[in-house]
Amino acid sequence: MTTVRRLLPEAADADVADLLRELTATRAEAPFRAEAMDFCADFAQRLRREARGLPEAQALAFWLRGAGIRRLAGHFAELGGDGVVLVPRGTALHIPPANVDTIFMYSWLLSTLVGNRNVVRLSDRAGEQALLIVDVLRDLFRAGNHPSVQASTAVVQYGHDRQITDALSAACDLRVVWGGDATITEIRRSPLPPHATELTFPDRFSLAVFRAGSYLALDDARRDRLAQRFYNDAYAFDQLGCSSPRLVVWVGDQATAEYAGADLFDRLAEVTRERDYAVATSTAIAKLAYTRRAAIDWPVGRARSYGSRLTVLPLDRYADVRGEFCGGGVFFQFRVGSLGDLASRIDRRDQTLVQFGFEAAELTGLVRELNGRGIDRVVPVGEALTFHHIWDGHDLLQSFTRRTTIDLTEAHLT
Amino acid sequence: MTVSLDDLLARRQYSLHQIEKERLLGAELAALTERHRRACAAYARILDTFPPSAEAGKLADVPYLPVSLFKTHHLASVPDEEIFKTMTSSGTTGQAVSRVVLDRETADLQTRALAAIMTTLLGPRRLPMVIVDGRHVVRDREKFNARAAGVLGMASFGRQHFYALDDEMTLDRRGLADFLGRFAGEPILIFGFTFMVWQYLVQQLGPGEADLSNATLIHSGGWKALQAQAVDNATFKRTLLELTGLTRAHNFYGMVEQVGSVFLEGPDGHLHPPNFADVIIRDPATWDEAPVGRTGVIEVVSALPRSYPGHALLTEDLGVVHGIGDPATGWGGKQLEVLGRVPRAELRGCGDTHAGESARTAMPV
Repeated sequence: MTTVRRLLPEAADADVADLLRELTATRAEAPFRAEAMDFCADFAQRLRREARGLPEAQALAFWLRGAGIRRLAGHFAELGGDGVVLVPRGTALHIPPANVDTIFMYSWLLSTLVGNRNVVRLSDRAGEQALLIVDVLRDLFRAGNHPSVQASTAVVQYGHDRQITDALSAACDLRVVWGGDATITEIRRSPLPPHATELTFPDRFSLAVFRAGSYLALDDARRDRLAQRFYNDAYAFDQLGCSSPRLVVWVGDQATAEYAGADLFDRLAEVTRERDYAVATSTAIAKLAYTRRAAIDWPVGRARSYGSRLTVLPLDRYADVRGEFCGGGVFFQFRVGSLGDLASRIDRRDQTLVQFGFEAAELTGLVRELNGRGIDRVVPVGEALTFHHIWDGHDLLQSFTRRTTIDLTEAHLT
Repeated sequence: MTVSLDDLLARRQYSLHQIEKERLLGAELAALTERHRRACAAYARILDTFPPSAEAGKLADVPYLPVSLFKTHHLASVPDEEIFKTMTSSGTTGQAVSRVVLDRETADLQTRALAAIMTTLLGPRRLPMVIVDGRHVVRDREKFNARAAGVLGMASFGRQHFYALDDEMTLDRRGLADFLGRFAGEPILIFGFTFMVWQYLVQQLGPGEADLSNATLIHSGGWKALQAQAVDNATFKRTLLELTGLTRAHNFYGMVEQVGSVFLEGPDGHLHPPNFADVIIRDPATWDEAPVGRTGVIEVVSALPRSYPGHALLTEDLGVVHGIGDPATGWGGKQLEVLGRVPRAELRGCGDTHAGESARTAMPV
């Protein structure tokens, strides 16, 4: 018998086999049923009240609001149509990262909305916001207004335990693994049933591109606002979220790009001061070490340092700066003559392109030029971390369901 | 070697006025910065990217490297054929270790430097010596590590070495009694790692079992393990005094990246840098020098490193300078207290977060 700590619907140790038996005996529900949508609204209301001052939980509450969920239902309806019915996959196993406190909620909520049964695995190191959200949910379940959501949900918490992951994997129809690469490799050692599918979200890299001329055409107030929005993109999660930009690319001539870069980073430094961004001492030391290693390893020109909160490392020539990172406000800076020049630098690991100052046609042109080699989303400044049901190139509403087709053409009988 | 380093080594340690020391040491460090810039391309790249402040008149203006750089990069200011030996830090399995390359000159300087410090405390003669460790640590060359290097480094200041522990870390009571009987009334030297001295010697001795009133204890290795038992330096010393009559206990602070530049605890209970080294406490928010009395990250500077650019290193330890000792008391120089490792921040973000750097405080060498 293998036991696991169960957090939801009730907090109790549970035998894994019993837990799975109970869960899979629950029937999968119709996508976007009224009860699930009501649940989202009730949950949003509680979260707004009980998670004051927790930015990620508040962002989740905003995402859950009625209008947002109705829009999701609309997207979902468009995926189906004449002769196509979207149906749940069955049981989904979600393995979110330990350190982004709300990812598991988006993954679980989308899957619940489309009618799946869900097992969510939280790590032993789950953060404070994650556990607070779990408490809010437990209270909500106790009120008893959402019996089908409750019955289709099991949130468990355990460390690296191959036996438990094996059992959960063997029972699922869909496994969703939110990165890092090492976690994905580890989880993949647990086999899935032959029919099951898997969705993985590996380590990614994100960058920002600014047209220098467009930036300099802004007045002071707008430049400040842009810097504030950029701060949100970069400094949430201490710049360690996959979608937070680490590289800033300027499009323009050398002099303009240099001037614009200095101006933006001066303002960004001011924002870190206004927001009183606190760098832990260990992070400050890690940044010092990372930036010195970068100076040795890559063609970095003279750095701009603003205390421990911000360091800008200009690249004299392009270098692959992806990979291990310290976070906490370190940016590489690079210049290209035109947006098209960026294309050859993009690779598979690149996820989010934060952009300012480009036309739709240019951006579409870049994406077509890349043709799948990298970049899964292009967003305006300030939206890097906004969760969307299309993530890393997957429409989760689609990936969490199967398409059943009904061909109504008459059989040829003559 | 330069005139002023010879001078710094030759003059009685802790005897310099701080202003005089900073003048002499500042000149040495500025010359070392230039030497390493010319000889070590990686170091030159760092200075190009992070140019030091133009005046460079104060010790705090000397450009410093984070000590972890020696774990990831080979930093040498001498050609490979001049490398005499490579020192490595003791890390637990799987953790990166520091690699510090020494040429003959730097290795000799380290030996001279340590001797200058220890003879200030112990006098010029070698003393009968108790080593609070097992003989196996230095016997097993396969497992030669910083602990063994520390024991061997200190052993040269003693004679008739008695290893007080057996291979199972059990105190050899009879051997100790014999040794103390043999050298009764004579000054003796005791050396060991702080934790081991506490656990395997102090905690094993009954009151009056061993008279150590003639002994000088030198110990090192940090207080982390003892903090769990709520044992600080004051408790450590008081207990030793009560149990054994020992009055001269000196902690020291040093690291493999700056061998020879150890900070020795004076009678004031603070750690003092020798003439040829100093400490700067930095505020991690700005990296500016923190004022006296303010806690920050410890930077150590030393005039010894010639073969690698390690003359100014930012450690991963927290500390505070409480003041400057009066050279007239025999213990001049800054009064440092080491507060232990910088606590590790809980990392956020997607992806795999790793435990991070090795825990390493003040390994003696």
